[in-house]
Amino acid sequence: MKTGLSRFYCAIAVLFILFGFSAFYTGQLGYKDVPKFPYKSKGLTEREAAAHLLSRFTYGATPGQVDEVVKTGLEKWFAQQLEARQPDDSLKQLLKDFDAVKLSTEQIITKYPRPFQVTRMMIRDSVVNKDSIRSDRKEYRDLINNYMQQHGMVAEQELYRQFINQKVLRAAYTQNQLQEVMTDFWFNHFNVSITKNQCAVFIPTYERDVIRPNVFGKFGNLLLATAKSPAMLIYLDNSSSSGDNAAPAKPNNTQAKPKADAQPGMGMAMEGSSMMMGNTMAMVAPKPQPKKNGAGLNENYAREVMELHTLGVDGGYTQNDVTQAARVLTGWTIYPMGDEGYGYMRKLQERFSADRLKEQGYVHDGEFLFTANRHDRGQKTVLGKQFGPDGGYQEGVDLLNMLAHHQSTAKFITRKLAVRFVSDNPPQSLLNKMVKTFNEKDGDIKEVLITMVSAPEFWSKTSVREKTKSPFELAIGAVRTLHADIQQPYQLYTWINRMGEKKYYYQAPTGFPDKGQYWINTGSLLNRMNFGLALASGRIPGVNVNLMALNQNHEPESAQAALTTYSKLIMPERNLSETIKRLTPMLNDPQLMDKVAAASAQNKPAANPSTASNNVMMKGTVTDTLRDKALKNNTYMAMQAKGVNKNMLSQVVGVIIGSPEFQRR
Amino acid sequence: MVSRRGFLRSGGLALMGVGLMGGIPGFLAEAVAGEQLINPYGKRKVLVCIFQRGAMDGLMAVTPFTDEYLKAARPNLFMSAAKTGTGASLIDLDGHYGLHPSMQAFEPMFREKRLGIVHGIGSPNNTRSHFDAQDYMESGTPFNKGTASGWLNRAVGLLGHDAITPFTAVSLTSAMPRSFYGDNPTVSISNLQDFAIQMRGNPGAANMAAKSFEDLYDKTSTGLLHDTGKESFDAVKMLQKADVKNYKPANNVVYPTSALGNSLKQIAQLIKMEVGMEVAFTESNGWDTHYSQGTDNGIFARNVGDLSSSMMAFWNDLSAYQDDVTVMTMTEFGRTVHQNGTGGTDHGRASCNFILGNNVNGGLVHGKMQPLANENLEDGRDLAVTTDFRSVFSEVADRQLKVTNNRVLFPDWKGEKIGVMRA
Repeated sequence: MKTGLSRFYCAIAVLFILFGFSAFYTGQLGYKDVPKFPYKSKGLTEREAAAHLLSRFTYGATPGQVDEVVKTGLEKWFAQQLEARQPDDSLKQLLKDFDAVKLSTEQIITKYPRPFQVTRMMIRDSVVNKDSIRSDRKEYRDLINNYMQQHGMVAEQELYRQFINQKVLRAAYTQNQLQEVMTDFWFNHFNVSITKNQCAVFIPTYERDVIRPNVFGKFGNLLLATAKSPAMLIYLDNSSSSGDNAAPAKPNNTQAKPKADAQPGMGMAMEGSSMMMGNTMAMVAPKPQPKKNGAGLNENYAREVMELHTLGVDGGYTQNDVTQAARVLTGWTIYPMGDEGYGYMRKLQERFSADRLKEQGYVHDGEFLFTANRHDRGQKTVLGKQFGPDGGYQEGVDLLNMLAHHQSTAKFITRKLAVRFVSDNPPQSLLNKMVKTFNEKDGDIKEVLITMVSAPEFWSKTSVREKTKSPFELAIGAVRTLHADIQQPYQLYTWINRMGEKKYYYQAPTGFPDKGQYWINTGSLLNRMNFGLALASGRIPGVNVNLMALNQNHEPESAQAALTTYSKLIMPERNLSETIKRLTPMLNDPQLMDKVAAASAQNKPAANPSTASNNVMMKGTVTDTLRDKALKNNTYMAMQAKGVNKNMLSQVVGVIIGSPEFQRR
Repeated sequence: MVSRRGFLRSGGLALMGVGLMGGIPGFLAEAVAGEQLINPYGKRKVLVCIFQRGAMDGLMAVTPFTDEYLKAARPNLFMSAAKTGTGASLIDLDGHYGLHPSMQAFEPMFREKRLGIVHGIGSPNNTRSHFDAQDYMESGTPFNKGTASGWLNRAVGLLGHDAITPFTAVSLTSAMPRSFYGDNPTVSISNLQDFAIQMRGNPGAANMAAKSFEDLYDKTSTGLLHDTGKESFDAVKMLQKADVKNYKPANNVVYPTSALGNSLKQIAQLIKMEVGMEVAFTESNGWDTHYSQGTDNGIFARNVGDLSSSMMAFWNDLSAYQDDVTVMTMTEFGRTVHQNGTGGTDHGRASCNFILGNNVNGGLVHGKMQPLANENLEDGRDLAVTTDFRSVFSEVADRQLKVTNNRVLFPDWKGEKIGVMRA
């Protein structure tokens, strides 16, 4: 029954996606609509241009990908990326076991309950007595585990683990790289955070259903979709905001009149503000309740939607606009889902028939609910435009539509895109072009991207390699360029955290700052270097690299050859002479061979007896002069090559990954 | 500004080198005086902040034991200061407030007037969400979620000098705390030993790689990567010299083996290394005691025991550095006056905090608390917030770090100090 149901949901999802895409793409952009890129005028060769394109619109070029893009044609490749319809069969194969990320939000809520919800269910089912809960006792934890198992429930951490794992795999392996890069961009722009327990469970579907399908569409559509998503409604508290001017819902008949304590909407406010709080509080203890502090206006979303999502902090709004916008958005909340935790609105629906609710202006759209009885019915004025009175749900839609089309928004959004894709300080001439397109094409993100990439500024030498990779981009870029086989994606995520980007856990609604200065500090930089060494030497569990295979199993003839070959493989179409020059002494350092060989001998004492004895011989008897001579003749290299090649190679590759050149894109 | 800071960083380090070689040449000394250059790596005044995540029950940590209303509201949780036959009793601080018996380590500090307590401290925003309350407390703007920076990051920006080192602001946490978000350089690290180029089981190769990296960052990069690369390797060398792995605390101090104890031990190491640290941050978890909170035994007792023992181990380890350090605890809110149905307490409003240091106006329980009759409770259930956390944070930061611009530190705050620090 369960699987049947989930198949049904999948089918619905697929249909939805198909319709969604066809609506966007039918009769729209072909690659011929992408103008010829003006890289030649900026002095770039076609291959250099392809490498630049890949560095900005993918998580990093895979070996040979520069050739592929040149062969496809740069403009056509870009158009294909905008369409995001490249076959992804091998990725699908990798993701097939990730059941959690295929579920609907309601299924997720049911399968991955919050701990306090489990406790409440256990009390309800008399599995535990509310006086004997000892979360620090093993027996009690066993009881919880058994109960969850019996009821097909899984700890919510498993949901986040799967979600993060699939993200790492998707970024590393999808053929539709730009779609994933844009998903990151917009997720970060409309940031929500797993650190806020109440909204955490909604985040996997937020990325999948709200962000990813809309990344190339109209900005206004994306804004509206985020505004109505449970994750955002809870993260920025709008789900618990209600108006002073709200009219109570009129019941179907007098018998059904709700008691004061079940005032529609009030319960929901509690859900959002206090009961859903990472704890097991009030529902088991009928103690003096807090004043329903959610039952009032909450300005958080209204402020951030203007400051962070649309107009920007200097976008020309006042505190009064914030308050008025908050009033416009009262009543925007989440639709009750699951058996536990969302019961108040369910009660409301039992008391009032669907028709009755609709008649009163309630709007139910998927996971979104507009509760008319909590909406401030009075007149409001935001940025000089009047909303209401009694405009209901439509007021909010009109408000967001106005914000999406505001001049400040055009500037703010296009600048953020240019900072992401061009440089930390994009030239004004480029921004002007992008703003023009944003305005003329109704905020069409695809069109804005085309304008950006078709502008000479994008190809300017001051833009090429000017961006600093974020830790996620660095890690994913490294596994892509080394063709690594990822068996344990979470291991990469752990390294990404260590380098300073705990993806999905950024607490503030600003999202991660997109600038080099934020990513590069002493601790994080050392970890970038250590990451390179760990990855190349195979010391990240479940992330396997085969450096020999990368070079078609050609064994480099010398350390010098290895350095040159692998530098070019890892960083195609760049001037690496300085990097190579600086790394050469390392290879020629007589200690290197000793140390690397010693390590190899230590790791595999029996495997390479000859290497070990050579090593002893070198250390014990060969004078420095002799060693120098040997180095010059390359005989030393040759002698050591067979035994220590792999270790030496991984050392070289590790340093390249950690080098300053590789931190740039 | 970046380039100036970069110059000062490398310039400052060079000065230190010259200094070690025997005296600063006259022209440099003049430059130092003219530019008010100070040696970036040196002994500093340090503010150490400990965030108790989960909301500490301030009424159990420091109990107004003469309050009959509290006694009635907490039949299973209330402890008295009277020495009775069964169980431990509170440590009577002043005839009204009693310290939890598991915090006996704090008592001598309170008697010596080095430990101050503020009761009734909290946020003007009455959210009872952990997330929101922590967010507001750490950003320092209780009504604005979009504040990009944290208050401690802004404090770094107000230090009044440009001698910023990699260790100016250090968080001993695995991820950057909200308090540290922002444009001023801060670093988060869970273990100082990780501050090195590492190849497990192969120190020789690690040294080699470190040399290569150092050269690469020095010679093949510019700007941010170049400067940060230089700082990183300076930092690595400093830590190597200090041999952090084999650290021996002073006075035969033994730190608790808890996460907090371990973090504070590393903060003590950094202070003694004199690497220019001025702001340190760490956290303590497990304060969300909805169930079976216990009295002199149990979860809460273990938590406060760890907090006080870790802080006192730190304090005693500091020995000669005690004059330079102030430690302040904070928690997002307090807990309900009434115990709940599961032997615990739920989310409330005000809590208390601890401030330890030789400049603290100690030996006092600061703040106001009315008798806990229902009519005096906030929203009819919680200890009312009578002292805004920003009042205490700004006073401590000002006294300790000479961070005087409250408009920047706490933009919406213009309130008064309550005298938790000695003038």
